[in-house]
Amino acid sequence: MKITTFAAIYIGSYEVSLRIFEISANRKIRSIDYVRSHVELGRDAFNKGTIGYELVEELCQILKEFRSIMDGYRVDDYKAYAGSVFRNVSNELFILDQIRLRTRIDVIVLSNSEHRLMDYKSLAVLPKFEKMIQKGAAIVNVGGGSMQITLFRKGAAITTQHIELGIMRIREKLSKIENLVSHYETQIQELIDKELEIFKRIYLQGREIKYVILLGDYIGEMTKGFSKKEEDGTIETERFIKLLNKWNKKSTEEISVELNLTNEHDPLIIPSVVLYKRLTEELGAKYIWVPGVNISDGIVCDYAEKNRMIHFEHDFEADVLAAARNLAERYHGYSSHTEAVLDMTVAIFDAMKKVHGMGKRERLLLQVAAILHDCGRYVSLVNQSECSYQIIMASEIIGMTHLEREMAASTVKYNSQPLQPYSSVSDKMSQADYMVVSKLTAMLKVANAMDRSHRQKFKNVKAVLRERELMITVESAESIVLEKGLFSAYANSFEEIFSVKPRIKEKKVFQ
Amino acid sequence: MEKEKDYLKPEYYENRELSWLKFNHRVLNEARDKNIPLLERLKFVSITSSNLDEFFMVRVASLKDMVHAGYKKKDIAGMTAKEQLEAINKDTRSLVEMQYSTYNRSLVPMLHNHEIEIIDAYEDLTEEQGEYVDRYFEETVYPVLTPMAVDASRPFPLIRNKSLNIAALLTKKEEKKEELEFATVQVPSVLDRIVQIPAQTEGNQTFILLEQIIERNIYRLFLNYHVICAYPYRIMRNADLTIDEDEAEDLLQEIQKQLKKRQWGEVIRLEVEEKIDKRLLNILKEELHIAQEDIFKINGPLDLTFLMKMYGLEGKEELRYAPYRPQRVPQITPGEDIFESIRRGDILLHHPYQTFDPVVDFIRQASKDPDVLAIKQTLYRVSGNSPIIASLAQAAENGKQVSVLVELKARFDEENNIVWAKKLEKAGCHVIYGLVGLKTHSKIALVVRKEEDGIRRYVHLGTGNYNDSTAKLYTDLGMFTCSEAIGEDATAVFNMLSGYSEPPSWNKLAVAPIWLRKRFLKLIKREMKHAQAGREAFIKAKMNSLCDRDIIAALYEASAAGVKIDLIIRGICCLRVGIPGVSDNITVRSIVGNFLEHSRIFWFHNDGQEEIYMGSSDWMPRNLDRRVEILFPVENEQLMEQVRHVMEVQLTDNTKAHILQPEGNYDKVDKRGKRLVNSQQQFCEEAKKALPQKVNVYQDRVFIPAEPIE
Repeated sequence: MKITTFAAIYIGSYEVSLRIFEISANRKIRSIDYVRSHVELGRDAFNKGTIGYELVEELCQILKEFRSIMDGYRVDDYKAYAGSVFRNVSNELFILDQIRLRTRIDVIVLSNSEHRLMDYKSLAVLPKFEKMIQKGAAIVNVGGGSMQITLFRKGAAITTQHIELGIMRIREKLSKIENLVSHYETQIQELIDKELEIFKRIYLQGREIKYVILLGDYIGEMTKGFSKKEEDGTIETERFIKLLNKWNKKSTEEISVELNLTNEHDPLIIPSVVLYKRLTEELGAKYIWVPGVNISDGIVCDYAEKNRMIHFEHDFEADVLAAARNLAERYHGYSSHTEAVLDMTVAIFDAMKKVHGMGKRERLLLQVAAILHDCGRYVSLVNQSECSYQIIMASEIIGMTHLEREMAASTVKYNSQPLQPYSSVSDKMSQADYMVVSKLTAMLKVANAMDRSHRQKFKNVKAVLRERELMITVESAESIVLEKGLFSAYANSFEEIFSVKPRIKEKKVFQ
Repeated sequence: MEKEKDYLKPEYYENRELSWLKFNHRVLNEARDKNIPLLERLKFVSITSSNLDEFFMVRVASLKDMVHAGYKKKDIAGMTAKEQLEAINKDTRSLVEMQYSTYNRSLVPMLHNHEIEIIDAYEDLTEEQGEYVDRYFEETVYPVLTPMAVDASRPFPLIRNKSLNIAALLTKKEEKKEELEFATVQVPSVLDRIVQIPAQTEGNQTFILLEQIIERNIYRLFLNYHVICAYPYRIMRNADLTIDEDEAEDLLQEIQKQLKKRQWGEVIRLEVEEKIDKRLLNILKEELHIAQEDIFKINGPLDLTFLMKMYGLEGKEELRYAPYRPQRVPQITPGEDIFESIRRGDILLHHPYQTFDPVVDFIRQASKDPDVLAIKQTLYRVSGNSPIIASLAQAAENGKQVSVLVELKARFDEENNIVWAKKLEKAGCHVIYGLVGLKTHSKIALVVRKEEDGIRRYVHLGTGNYNDSTAKLYTDLGMFTCSEAIGEDATAVFNMLSGYSEPPSWNKLAVAPIWLRKRFLKLIKREMKHAQAGREAFIKAKMNSLCDRDIIAALYEASAAGVKIDLIIRGICCLRVGIPGVSDNITVRSIVGNFLEHSRIFWFHNDGQEEIYMGSSDWMPRNLDRRVEILFPVENEQLMEQVRHVMEVQLTDNTKAHILQPEGNYDKVDKRGKRLVNSQQQFCEEAKKALPQKVNVYQDRVFIPAEPIE
């Protein structure tokens, strides 16, 4: 039996961790060792915007030790990721280089969406998870620098929001006034409430959530003493809030003793208590669930999936589509036209498979682009392509990486703009990615042209590749002069890229 | 709340120092037991003597510190430091008196009966012996002596802690006026304290004490002087290390520095011969700044630890117990793969009845095994030339990850430990020098092995140190397991010791200082609840000392609720038995035998779902608060049965057990009409019986031809 020993390193805003796993066909994923070290990188990152020499030194020292632990276990592979703490600093590249030179560890900085997808994968391997999201759930992931709330409906993720408010950041924000106020916790609460209020108003309206799934530090300790429901391990929110209200009035020391924390003056505990309290109160779910997974579980699940060692039941692509649809709806950009374009792009993509040589993932990007290609009209009818691009880039779609989002957004952008040369996007993607965007754009353009009138005149679209011609057979009861006329203009750019000429073949249907 | 406070009344508690002195009395009692072979009795006297030294250097010293600091707080028995010192002084005097009356009145005459003489006054030597002694002095002793005189230009010299010295009064030969001068010379510790000399009668063995040889020849050291008188004396200094760990950058260096300082601590005890010259005593008293009450006048040779050497006397086997050879552990065949044996199931080791070899072998095999990735171990007190150290160094050289926590703060062993630590570092081990503010007392070894079906962890947990020599004298229990839950915890323990964050939770182990006291209190409370609900409830526990106030109060409360509590406590016990309504369900016994009782076992009835724990911790505040200790459960039913058996036999011991009485004294069990049970002896026999009988060793050798392979 092949066993892979894998190491997951994560650099957070106040903790660096190394976890050793064994991945095998039989026992799936087994955690062997878990080493954590406290380094408050967030102290510099959130205050000064750069990480200072001393902390980098400390970090390298720890990573060096991690390296020797990894060598001790003879790991086959590792992944080292850094979270939001590195995204916010100006000397990110220099630190990464230092780490690479001194510890032989390549650290990748995760974009928020990648980070969340990993969290999400660590949950998706748990059997209870699928049941909960069917009934409506919110995953709340509280980190040091930020938190993420993802809403689920009928088994798919519909929206995810990033809130720049984590326990470490709260503490840093308030550290200067901590001694000036008598009720530190009310200050924290005010800070949190402002953010939560907006989130609730925009995204939570009329959505019923049954479960809040809490990920983050301290929450494990806080819920340890609770009796949990036997079938799914959840806790009634009411009981949880009651306890937090009690703690809210206590001092750091008192809480630390009660929770058995190592550090009796843990400065992060009060922000945590207030944050978890407000979150559970505002989300108004009946139950909370603390699955006890963290980012290192996510890293290994992601790795194992990518290397085909494990397989997820959960359909992450359905999430991407659901989230895209949701986004389009929010900007009133979702219509029967969108559906028509989506169908046609997919038909073209599948027919062209031999020519374009792209795979499943690109197909998904094309679908996302098709769904979102009109969302910019919400802002401006004239400048819609730019606006669509901006909207997509500013929204998070769980299940897509930052780069993928960039590619989908660019596809949308060039749908109604001439394709720009590579040099204009070279800072955002590689040439290969640019080629993908070009190809997807060409396909989207053709599909879009076919519903120019937005009246869905075509029925039963079929696309077939014949020699160097793409025959698109459509059924229509109406005149399609407009579509046919405009088609040739888009067909040129399509031909340019694929050396294939698209043709519309009409099959008149009389009703 | 109100009720709970009741159990904290000072009169419910015994002072720990006085309780310790009682323990030393019990050891001394063994020396008075006529059923014990003579040399063994000498050994017990010697033990009481070295015990007392350590007690003074550490406990009495810190009480003195408290008095100096004006510390007024009372201990759990309601005594101030000053009151404790007074009581200790009184009890120590009676202990010392008994030591010397035992030595002088029983042991010396009995030695004489067995043709062994110890001459403790050079005046008793025959002429022939005198010549021999003088020659010995000239050839061996004289070159290493450093006599030191005190006068205006030469200040009073540093007298070393625990060293034996001879003080003399001198007068200048030429001068008429009799002006007394003081001189002192250390009895060299590099030479044997006892010197065998020609016997008066054939076949006898005669010994003289080194200081007597020097006294006899002292005039030779001060040729220009008349020696008026010369007497031996010995001092004890305050030796408890106080290390400012927060400021100590490097613990290793700091301890080395402190070791030098130990020479200079305040003098807290002065022992002199009973008939010492008054003038001489006054000089010592003044120069050493010692109070009258801290002077002990001794009727006999000072520092009876030399009796340990007498114990090792050649020949005279009939005066000692027949040596016991630790038996093989049935589940482990020497020379076979120990990891395979452990995979077959958890293994319990009972030392010294069973050999310590498997533990040494565990590390040795791991150091060579190509599948082993890492070895991690805590070392507290290690034997000289330890095979474990050698194996660990070997493993590091073989490219394994070796982490060793060497506890530098093991009292009086620091010097020894520093040597090992350096040696291991050189070999490439990752050496951790203890934790700031905490002593690492836990005994745990972990071997991580990459096997066919993934990583497997082998753990040894014990109640005793990884010391192959004390394992022959201390009774300890150990357990081998490859349980995944314990393996995970063991990894977490070492991560914690390496300075990483603690694990979010523990599977099986309870670790002090953070979790252990709570765990114990919870276990006691649970038993109490069972009793309150009218179910059977008992606690049987064995440890070295019990003096934690919270735990004792919890035991009182449990006892009052009807929990039956049987304790086997070798040393200090601050709990009092037989207080009506408080501790009438508690019994305490102390077993002092040939082996030093050292194992810690905690057995809770838990309404039939019995739980048995073992560990490195006593119920002492220092174990629960200031040390890293591990408590581990014994869960394998077979092993539980073995541990229960150990406890049950010890609880029925009526030969070596002393029972604590309500008045606070310990009495031996009334044996009349009972079958005699000597638990240590019984375990020795059982260990022998447990082994499969050897198959006919004298069988002819037969070569077995290999079958052809198809």
